[in-house]
Amino acid sequence: MKVLDYLKDHVTYLDGGMGTLLQKRGLQPGELPERWNVSHADVIVEIQKAYFDAGTNIICTNTFGANSLKFDDEELQTLISAAVENAKKARELSSGMQEKFVALDIGSMGKLLKPYGDFEFEDAVEVYAKTVRIGAACGVDLIYIETMNDSYDTKAALLAAKENCDLPVFVSNAYGEDGKLMTGATPAAMVAMLEGMHADAIGANCSLGPEQLRGVVEEYLAYASVPVLLKPNAGLPRSENGQTVYDVFPEEFSDVMKGYVEAGIRIAGGCCGTTPDYIAATVAKTKDLAPKEIVPKNRTLISSYTHVVEFKDSPILIGERINPTGKKRFKEALRNNDIDYILGEGLTQQEKGAHVLDVNVGLPEIDEVEMLKRVAFELQAIIDLPLQIDTTNVTAMETALRRYNGKAMINSVNGKEEVMREIFPLVKKYGGLVVCLTLDEDGIPAEAEKRVEIAKNIIRVAKEYGIEKKDLIFDTLAMTVSADSHAALATLQALNVIKHELGCHTSLGVSNVSFGLPNREIITAAFFSLALENGLSAAIMNPNAAEMMKSYYSFRALHGLDENCTDYIENIGKYASVAAAPAQTAGATAEGAKDSEFQSDLQRAIVKGLKEQAAALTIERLKTEEPLDIVTSQIIPALDIVGKGFEKKTMYLPQLLMSAEASQCAFEQIKNKMASSSSESVSRGKFVIATVHGDIHDIGKNIVKLILENYGFEVYDLGKDVPPETVVDVVVEQHAPLVGLSALMTTTVPAMEETIKQLREKAPWAKVIVGGAVLTQEYADSIGADYYAKDAMATVRYSMQQMGQQA
Amino acid sequence: MSENVIFVKKYDEADKALAVNEREVLRYAGYLGLPETMDETLREVFSQVVEELKGAFSYQVCYRRMDVTWEDGMPQFSLQTQSKDLAKCLNGSREVILFAATVGLEIDRRIAKHQRFSPTKALLMQAYGAERVETLCNAFCDEMKRQAEAEGLQCTARFSPGYGDLPLEAQRDVFRLLDCNRKIGISLNESLLMTPSKSVTALFGMGAGVCPGQEHKCESCEKKDCEFRSDDVRA
Repeated sequence: MKVLDYLKDHVTYLDGGMGTLLQKRGLQPGELPERWNVSHADVIVEIQKAYFDAGTNIICTNTFGANSLKFDDEELQTLISAAVENAKKARELSSGMQEKFVALDIGSMGKLLKPYGDFEFEDAVEVYAKTVRIGAACGVDLIYIETMNDSYDTKAALLAAKENCDLPVFVSNAYGEDGKLMTGATPAAMVAMLEGMHADAIGANCSLGPEQLRGVVEEYLAYASVPVLLKPNAGLPRSENGQTVYDVFPEEFSDVMKGYVEAGIRIAGGCCGTTPDYIAATVAKTKDLAPKEIVPKNRTLISSYTHVVEFKDSPILIGERINPTGKKRFKEALRNNDIDYILGEGLTQQEKGAHVLDVNVGLPEIDEVEMLKRVAFELQAIIDLPLQIDTTNVTAMETALRRYNGKAMINSVNGKEEVMREIFPLVKKYGGLVVCLTLDEDGIPAEAEKRVEIAKNIIRVAKEYGIEKKDLIFDTLAMTVSADSHAALATLQALNVIKHELGCHTSLGVSNVSFGLPNREIITAAFFSLALENGLSAAIMNPNAAEMMKSYYSFRALHGLDENCTDYIENIGKYASVAAAPAQTAGATAEGAKDSEFQSDLQRAIVKGLKEQAAALTIERLKTEEPLDIVTSQIIPALDIVGKGFEKKTMYLPQLLMSAEASQCAFEQIKNKMASSSSESVSRGKFVIATVHGDIHDIGKNIVKLILENYGFEVYDLGKDVPPETVVDVVVEQHAPLVGLSALMTTTVPAMEETIKQLREKAPWAKVIVGGAVLTQEYADSIGADYYAKDAMATVRYSMQQMGQQA
Repeated sequence: MSENVIFVKKYDEADKALAVNEREVLRYAGYLGLPETMDETLREVFSQVVEELKGAFSYQVCYRRMDVTWEDGMPQFSLQTQSKDLAKCLNGSREVILFAATVGLEIDRRIAKHQRFSPTKALLMQAYGAERVETLCNAFCDEMKRQAEAEGLQCTARFSPGYGDLPLEAQRDVFRLLDCNRKIGISLNESLLMTPSKSVTALFGMGAGVCPGQEHKCESCEKKDCEFRSDDVRA
């Protein structure tokens, strides 16, 4: 019998702890338990046989850490095949009459993936793939991925399993006391991602005792439509007379497990500290229970690496600002690789209340595949909102979905056969909630009925791919009402039918409706309210638009979605009066004038680190002064005051940074002005900066970058963990005269030395400045650097000197 | 007595032993003045940071107790090393406690977020995180010291891979011995850096009559020109 068939009608039992039992049998601290598959095969077989005898259906091979990071290929092959043999032997020897299966056990490889760690996602997939291929070839019945404490790592392992075998895959995560994974994901977020990728059973194991996992179990059962598994620890270990004792015993353990099986757990076992006694007790108490039926939950979910966003009654706001269409400054940012600007758009939308961010970086002259991959990655490093991947480039779509940490929204498919055949396979493989535009080969139908027909066809084709209705969200296309006075009505009618008759969620890019009209925000917001009333589930919109936010909060309050109008009361003030801002600026000026120690208010604002004031005062000055005059007469002198204060130790690092931030706000205003008047900016010179290969500390590097930019250098920031070749390539390409390298650890200084060596060969003109906690003058000399900079100001002074300029 | 088991301890932020030392936070941030003399704008940003980081930490320690024997003046235990400085620190201990401590990944996320748009906040958060994990280590060690005293034992000062002549490479063994990733979610990368970044691994010895040694890190550090060297040592 196949394990999935068995699972349909039975509560299925996993095994219990292995590591803790091996320690009792003499496994030494730090010794790799996988080697015991060969050296102590008899012990492994004996333990696994005891589990089968206790009633276990699925034995996990002793391969938790069997991966290519710990073992070379040959040993890996030997250990995994021995492990599978041991489990099969235990199965033969056991007298148990139950159905018995062998699962290839895969634990976390213990490396954290980028952006927090240094491991590439694709490399992680390959590590797991190797283990999967060997295990599958040895003839296991299923893959059991377990004890994963990071969602991204989990995705890599599941993807590897799906791509390298046809076996069922069970996935189990390790939750902390806060009910979240170490990297922050909730159980619901894991359900969304793992079901989207078609894991066959999902759940939790390790870290806590059964009772402490109650919240986690309940969340799984509320969200999951696949069988849920649970493999808790025997509580916590403590020491008693020199013996290690776990504080939950078989009796109590099995009582709690019984309750969980009654609540709907379908696969039960134990983790650290549990023994065959725990499994036997659990089996005895639950084997006669009828397995609880698994009901499809039909919840429309997307997720980030921390949480889910559910499409239900309350409207979902999808921020539309990460998109170059019609935005000069955004296009410029894309062309210049100015990721910070793009991320800034993301953060602002998050602050303004967006639930999801649309990400569109399509521009004819850039490499969209690379850019989308990079932007989606960088956004996920700092913003925990789910993303909507928005592109017509299928390769870009797949690349982004593959690396997305969670279950994304996908923008979009439409009724065209060709488009569906391209996109649906990606949805099936990576999971996702797909925006479906109701247009097809014949264009956008004018009539609502025809748009509904297209929707029905999309539902039918999606079903062929196993994509459920709940994972489709229909966009009935908002058209320009100034061009066709019935346009809005058709959109609303189609929306209404799709929501209420087809039972699907809906979304609209609402602002299209108002093209060509004055005061667009007003009519757009009115349309938004009407659409919500007709059943709109989500809007792609600008969260900075006050009118839209007013409609949003009002709708929620009026529709019983905002208990006691709490959100309305808390937020509406922000949108009620927009005229407050100029008054504030005037106030700032007046206050600043009191201080006579500075040449001007702007200088004072910069020195004191007052960001808003610096920006407002710069805007004031730009009305009458040339942008570059402001830089030379105001900003640079202010920076000098701060720089000298820092060097004399009358000002400290946090203050230096605050001034730098304030001057950056001033610079941003100047840049805006110059972009609109398209005059050329003046650069003091190009400066390439990087944290060297192997090092992931970049705060020092970022401080230096900020101060350099303040002084007018054109900084090319290559980020952290940068290979020597990349540094060389950029220095050569830009013919940059200055290079700054940062390293924190003694272990990464060799990478710095190598980078310098390669630079000397390929870019002999470049002056190399080094810095970082571990460096000293002697160290810098020994690796052949041109200059050792003890801090950011030292870097600026040296760079100015090299460029023949006065600091 | 030596044990095969790795224990995990979790701490509550409200624990008195984890009280925040603001002056220490500011020192880590490169602000060498007194907290009282901070100007208003800096004070404002600092209090925003303090506010934002409430509840952002998850304090965890995993540890194990191991027997030590001595051969030719060198300690023999599961962590194999020729470090003379470590031998000196352990000065005849019969047991060691090896531990890893972390305040969790969330602080790294917050730092990453602010680094691009508010480097001042990022800097202060770095400093805050550093102070938190130091304080956590102190709280853990103090607790162990009290337990040891109850058993009639004394503890030595704390020692970490990378101190003196104990190479950072010892981190690999520490991670093997403590199963840090699985127990409390710390991972070690190829360059021997830990993630979450606000994590510490260390060990200390226990024994009857062992000398506590120098506890103050700055005093025993060779980098005499360090910007961050704490005031009382500089003076």
